Parts: sequence; structure tokens; C-alpha cells
Amino acid sequence: MNKGKIVSIHSFRGGTGKSNTTANLAAQVALAGKRVGVVDTDIQSPGIHVLFGLDETKMGKTINDFLHGTATIREIGFPIGENTGGAEGRAKLAGKNLWLFPSSIRGREISQILREGVDFNKLNEGLQTTISEFDLDYLFIDTHPGLNEETLLSIATSDILIIILRPDNQDLQGTSVTVDIARSLDVPHLMLMVNKALPKYDFAQIKKEIEAKFSAPVSGVLPLTFDLADNASNDLFSLRYPDHEWSKSLRGVADAILAVK
Amino acid sequence: MENDILVQLRSTSLFRGLSDEMLATLAERAVMRKLAPNDILMKKGEAGDSLFLIHTGWVKIVTEDSKGDELILNKCGPGEIIGEMALLDSEPRSASVIALEDAEALEVKQSAFQDALDKDPDISLSIIRSYSNRLRFSTTYIEKAIDWAQKIAEGDYSFIDQTQPLSKNAQTADDKAAQLLSAFFTMVRKVKEREDGLKQQLEQLSFEIDQARRKQEFEEITGTEFYAKLKEQAKNLRQKRAQQ
Ligand SMILES: Nc1ncnc2c1ncn2[C@@H]1O[C@H](COP(=O)(O)OP(=O)(O)OP(=O)(O)O)[C@@H](O)[C@H]1O
Ligand SMILES: [Mg+2]
Repeated sequence: MNKGKIVSIHSFRGGTGKSNTTANLAAQVALAGKRVGVVDTDIQSPGIHVLFGLDETKMGKTINDFLHGTATIREIGFPIGENTGGAEGRAKLAGKNLWLFPSSIRGREISQILREGVDFNKLNEGLQTTISEFDLDYLFIDTHPGLNEETLLSIATSDILIIILRPDNQDLQGTSVTVDIARSLDVPHLMLMVNKALPKYDFAQIKKEIEAKFSAPVSGVLPLTFDLADNASNDLFSLRYPDHEWSKSLRGVADAILAVK
Repeated sequence: MENDILVQLRSTSLFRGLSDEMLATLAERAVMRKLAPNDILMKKGEAGDSLFLIHTGWVKIVTEDSKGDELILNKCGPGEIIGEMALLDSEPRSASVIALEDAEALEVKQSAFQDALDKDPDISLSIIRSYSNRLRFSTTYIEKAIDWAQKIAEGDYSFIDQTQPLSKNAQTADDKAAQLLSAFFTMVRKVKEREDGLKQQLEQLSFEIDQARRKQEFEEITGTEFYAKLKEQAKNLRQKRAQQ
């Protein structure tokens, strides 16, 4: 039975905070007692594994092995709840049902995959197998920025698409195209999330303005904060600093995901 | 008055550990200085060989800023001690002290203090303990102040409600750290008030989307064979999922 939802996190430009958001959303949803998987399909620049404290030495088989047919999904899932390590925030995930499906960070394998391209049915089959093998409620996908073919594939397969944007014209322009594509591909639930908003702006107004521009809900406006930049991707920020404004708004986005029926 | 002075001396953290006898000896040799408004009690740069216990009235501790204008570092009133480092060293005064109004200050000379030390070497222990307590206290508050300063930078003022500022008549009222702290709290409150005021006038953003460009980019992506196939596959997938 197909009960798990695929949640893709995307942004038109790079560096909007996709990896941080994906990792923190997945952690929050796992904390809420759900069974959660995180797929790092950002094959060109994998990064999310760092937030989960996984380094190359701990990394076993990767998505790349699966796409090559040399590994099963079972072998790839890395149980974060059993390997929280020393970080204070991550430690809260102990015993939670959260798996990371890392992509390989070895350069040669990455270029090989990119050359060969990824097939939609194969990807989708892989995701569905992942959901059923691990009995997942949610499978999060951290995508590569822009609208290349792999990204279009993950948009096409998502039940929920979260587009992250910074509150500036360039991001809004790019987001407008992504919104149109998501609608053209019949993504059932589309939400926007604003990140890196300067605190001097009126967040409520930003939300209203962007919702009106795209006729889509903005599930959170998250501030630009040096604390997150400082955290240097070493821990899950929203778990480590739950009372921070960024974390509070992020939990709002997690709630919006949990509210989708 | 003699009694008043003893009570005041004992209430300071510096002399708290001294015996009544010792305090009486110090008080005896101390000189009460009467000050009129603007009288100078200490001058920055002068040799410092005594400390003052403010008995009545208020004084200001001042230095000069880079332009030579007077900069008030602090104000001290009854029961507070100034220039106490002079008991340990004879460094020049680091700031000037000027009376704000009619005031009286009890001067305790380094020599008097040292004579007392000769009589009862145990005093030195008590004094060292008092200095080190004050230092530790200051360090803790400096660390706290750093932590708070970071919070302020984030716009998080919640610590104001969670932290009890030290009141003037607390045991540590003569402590510079406590004074710094109280000045700090006053500053934070003012900053917060100003920021609350500013919050009413948050900046508004407006956005512009170039619709022609949006349409053109959409068509570029959706016009490919890859996309047509993907759309078809996605449609099948959604139908399949809907049936499940
Ligand atoms: N709200 C924020 N305030 C300050 N810094 C942030 C914020 N969100 C993310 N960052 C920082 O921005 C950088 C990019 O974040 P992240 O890697 O999550 O983005 P990304 O969209 O996944 O990037 P890429 O496109 O390279 O994959 C990181 O250094 C991160 O710490
Ligand atoms: Mg990333």
C-alpha cells in the first residue's frame, strides 16, 4: 500500500537553505513520531549528510549504487536515530524513526550518473520501494537548484512540493516558473517558504504579498540569522535552538506538512 | 557618627571580614573629607595611596573622551567604595572623582591599612578573599554580559524578564560589576523600547515579476520532448496513486 508522502524541497537558485530546511523539517516530523526518510538527490553537491553528522568514513552504500543496480534500498538507509553522535540537537533524535539515503560524494560516480541521466520510472520505483521497505510516512527529497531534468523528475513525483525562496525579485521570478511547472505536473500540494528574510522587513506583509502573487500558501517566513550561518552545518539548528525565531517558523512549516491529508 | 562609619565600613564587601576591633582602628585613623559641589576628590593620573568610602552625598567618576570632553563613567553614593585598588598597588588614579553635591568621603590611607595588616596578618587573607570574590563575580557577569549582548544582536530580550538585576542595596552594592550590570540593564531597556517603536514601522517590500519572461522560460522547459514524456508519466503516476 502506498501511504507515504513524497515531499520535495526545491529552490530556483542555489544557497537558499534547501539542505538545512530539508534536514530540519525531516527531523521535526520524525520528532512528531512519524517514520521519515531523507533522500539527497542533489547529486552534484551533496550536503545534507553533513547536517546529520555523516561523513565519508561512515557512509556505506549510496543512492548512486542503487541507481546502478549494485545495492538494494535496504542497504542504503542509514538510521539516524541509532547514530545521533555527539551533537546536542541531533541527540534529540535518539530512537526516532529517521533514515538518510545519502548520495555518493565520490566525484567519479557523480559524473557517471550525470552522464547517464536518471530515468523517471526507475527513480519513482526506487522512491516507492523506499517508502514501502521502511514503512515511511514521509520521504523528503533535497533537490538540486534550478530546473534541470533530475529536478523535474522529483517535482513530478512529489505529493508535496515546498519551494524555498528569498524575498527578492530574482528569486520570485525563478519561483514563478517553478510554480507554473508544478501546476503543469499536477503536484497535489504546493507550498512556498521564504528564507533569509532580513528582520527589518514586515514578515506578515511579505507573506501576504507572495501569496497573492502566486495564489499559493506561504507556510513560513524565516529570518536571515547569523546564528544559522554560524552553526556551519554541524548540527540540526531547530533541535539545538528550539526557541530561536528561525526554529519556531520552521516548525510552522513542519506543521503545514503534517496537516496535509 | 563614629558608629555610622563602622556600620558603613562593615557593609562593604571589602571590609566585611574584618573584626570590630580592626574596623575601629581603621575608622579612627580615617579622615572625613567634606566636599562642596564640583570639588575634586581624586584626580586622574595622580598617585593613589588611599581609598574613599562615600559617607553622604553623591560623586561622579569621570574621564575624558578623545575630544577632551568629560565622560561620566559612573556615579557613586553613600556606602560605596572608590579607589580601593590603591590598597594593593600605588598606581596613578585611572579616573577623576568629582562631587555632584555636598558630600562627605572617608579617606582610608594605605599606610593605615598596612599598619593594621602588620598587627593582624590574618586580615590579608580576608581581604584577598574579598578581592577574589569580586573578581570572580565580575568575570561571571562579563561572561553573562557577552551572552546577553549576543541575544540583543538577535533581538531576543527575553532574558530581561528572566534575570533579576541586582538592586542598589544588595550586598554587592559597592561592586563595580553590579553597577555596570545595572547600567547595562538600563541600556537594554532603552534599546528594547526604541526597537519596539521601530517595529511599528517595519519596512515594506514590493515585488515585480516579469510575466513575459516567466511565460517564455516556462515554454522553453515544457517545450522539450523530455518534458512531454515526463508529463505523461507523471499523469499516469498520479492516476495510479489516486486508485490506491
Ligand atoms: N536563514 C538563514 N540565515 C542565515 N544563513 C542561512 C540561512 N539559511 C541557510 N543559511 C546558510 O546558507 C548556506 C546555504 O544553505 P544550504 O546549504 O542549506 O542551502 P542549499 O539551498 O541547500 O544550497 P545549495 O544550493 O548549495 O545546495 C549555508 O551556509 C547555511 O548555513
Ligand atoms: Mg543543498
